[in-house]
Amino acid sequence: MMTGNTLTRELGWRLLRKLREIRQFEERIIPVYPTDVMVTPVHLHIGQEAVPVGVCDHLRPHDLVFIGHRTHGVALAKGMSMGSLMAELYGRTTGCAQGFGGSMHVCDPANGLPGSSALVGGSIALGVGAALAARLGKRDQLVVSCFGDGAADAGVFWESLNFAALKSVPVLFLCEDNGLSNVMRKEDHLHADPGVVAGHFMQVWRADGTDVLSVREAAGEAFAHIRATGRPALLWCATKRWMKHQGVEADDLACNPVDREKDCPIRKLEQALLSAGLATQAEIEQLGGEIESEIDAAIMFAEQSPFPDPGMLATEV
Amino acid sequence: MPWSRFDQSHAAPEGGGRIITFKDAIREAIDQAMIHDPRVFAIGLDADDKFGVFGSMLNLAHPERVIGAPISENAVTGIALGAALNGLRPICIHLRVDFLLVAMDQVVNYIAKWRYMTRGRIKVPIVVRAVIGRGWGCGAQHSQSLGGLFAHIPGLKVVMPSNPYDVKGLFLAAVKDDWPVIFLEHRWLYKNTGSVPEDMYVLPLGKGRIARAGNKLTVVATSLAVIDTLNAVSGANLDVEVIDPRCLKPLDEELILTSVRKTGRLLVVDYDFPACGFAAEVCAVVAEKAAHHLKSPVQRMTFPESPMPASGILEKAYYPNPDSIAARIRAMLDGVC
Repeated sequence: MMTGNTLTRELGWRLLRKLREIRQFEERIIPVYPTDVMVTPVHLHIGQEAVPVGVCDHLRPHDLVFIGHRTHGVALAKGMSMGSLMAELYGRTTGCAQGFGGSMHVCDPANGLPGSSALVGGSIALGVGAALAARLGKRDQLVVSCFGDGAADAGVFWESLNFAALKSVPVLFLCEDNGLSNVMRKEDHLHADPGVVAGHFMQVWRADGTDVLSVREAAGEAFAHIRATGRPALLWCATKRWMKHQGVEADDLACNPVDREKDCPIRKLEQALLSAGLATQAEIEQLGGEIESEIDAAIMFAEQSPFPDPGMLATEV
Repeated sequence: MPWSRFDQSHAAPEGGGRIITFKDAIREAIDQAMIHDPRVFAIGLDADDKFGVFGSMLNLAHPERVIGAPISENAVTGIALGAALNGLRPICIHLRVDFLLVAMDQVVNYIAKWRYMTRGRIKVPIVVRAVIGRGWGCGAQHSQSLGGLFAHIPGLKVVMPSNPYDVKGLFLAAVKDDWPVIFLEHRWLYKNTGSVPEDMYVLPLGKGRIARAGNKLTVVATSLAVIDTLNAVSGANLDVEVIDPRCLKPLDEELILTSVRKTGRLLVVDYDFPACGFAAEVCAVVAEKAAHHLKSPVQRMTFPESPMPASGILEKAYYPNPDSIAARIRAMLDGVC
């Protein structure tokens, strides 16, 4: 799975399914969310799906990804089941954290998701530590620290870059740069391009974070570099956030101009598949329908699952 | 798992035996842990420098598993956590607890909460060592204790050993434990000596000890305060029971309550700031569960409500010592205060 940048039906179909799973999962949250069946702050991945899908396509279940607060897309891309994630949003015992985590704290050890953090930046260091453990244990295991451009403001990002470079820690720093730190535009929160500075510490790849093939290709090169050299790498993916930082409303186009035709990762891949004759419109519509049914099942699973017992409050502590 | 092979708890040797320093007892515990379990490694600022963290890291059998880190305490503490989440058992070292404060994001928001947030699907076997306490004129930013600050946070165990035997057994227990442990070592204890078995042994986290038996008053103290209290009591021949809980959390409440029910008086000597601190917590436990056994109000001896000064004359006024502890005990026994 590491190489092969030629778009085949198998590859395109696999990527499209993941992109659509994330998009459609998130879109189903939108109408339900105002009814308060999910009492947890959600940070939707809509528009940014290409980044987790393009990177995670290279990963095996035991490879690890550390996530920040925008969890859904990465979790689904890495293999978490929709039911487990949906039930967590519904605060039920069948959720990935049994209702104790919520949207911002998801985990799935069997699929290489050791947890996520609602604090911006800190989990970057966790990925470095996990990669250090893989190296010390001489394990064949890739580790990714996933974060946004806002996290590049934080000291822990620079500390982690420096440590990983200094000590040859084989980790991929993955920036999902949506150009926004909450509502702050990048030019208002970053003085210089961190990717340029990071280039003094390690090799940097850049990809179009609205194009899953671009992300996948760059990630493949970065992972090959990490494996070959034992050194860290940074993959910087410029992408677009369609929704507000938190919640289910579309973002204000005045401060975050998004062209939903041009900047859509799903549309881009579908057009590539159609023009290459690797898929038909009818097949794509059928795929969408299949995924809707899976989400229906996930919602039903969540709704029918029990709430946690308050008697469990002070356990695992 | 290899750690299940030696869960015996050695009784403290009575006199004789092998006498080593507190510092060498820690060093031996780290060395044995690393030899015993290849998953154990140490990481921290100056962890591998020639001074070996005040001598506690010198001449280890596995120096390749000691990773010196730059002045990046927050990331390095997170790196230790990340390694713990991926199967290792890190010992994260901070030369002074004041430096650990730089990593409070990782300690409070990540380390303490990870196991809870993942419902125990991810274990967090990490030991965070920090050296605490005054030096000589070290002032406000190199003299703190802060045990109570960490004990305030659900999800952390906090250990404050007072003697060489305890420090070895508690340290090995901390490395063996699948929970995060904050391990606070007072630098003034490093040269103290005592009997320490050569074998590996663990002391249960959350079990205190009666450091001295007595009948008229219970003193609860940790770390250096235990030693100062023992010196105060033995020098003045006071009929006082000295309880060393060893851990601020989990707290051996029953040991304290049993003693207070017998003596009817409680003094907590806590070398830390007073407000919302460990001494306040012990007083609250006694007030809630043994108030009707009290013959006089509970009392605390702590640092004043101020940072640490530098000048010797100010330090003398700031810190409790065996004389001031003895004076307070006498006053309590005489009913003066």
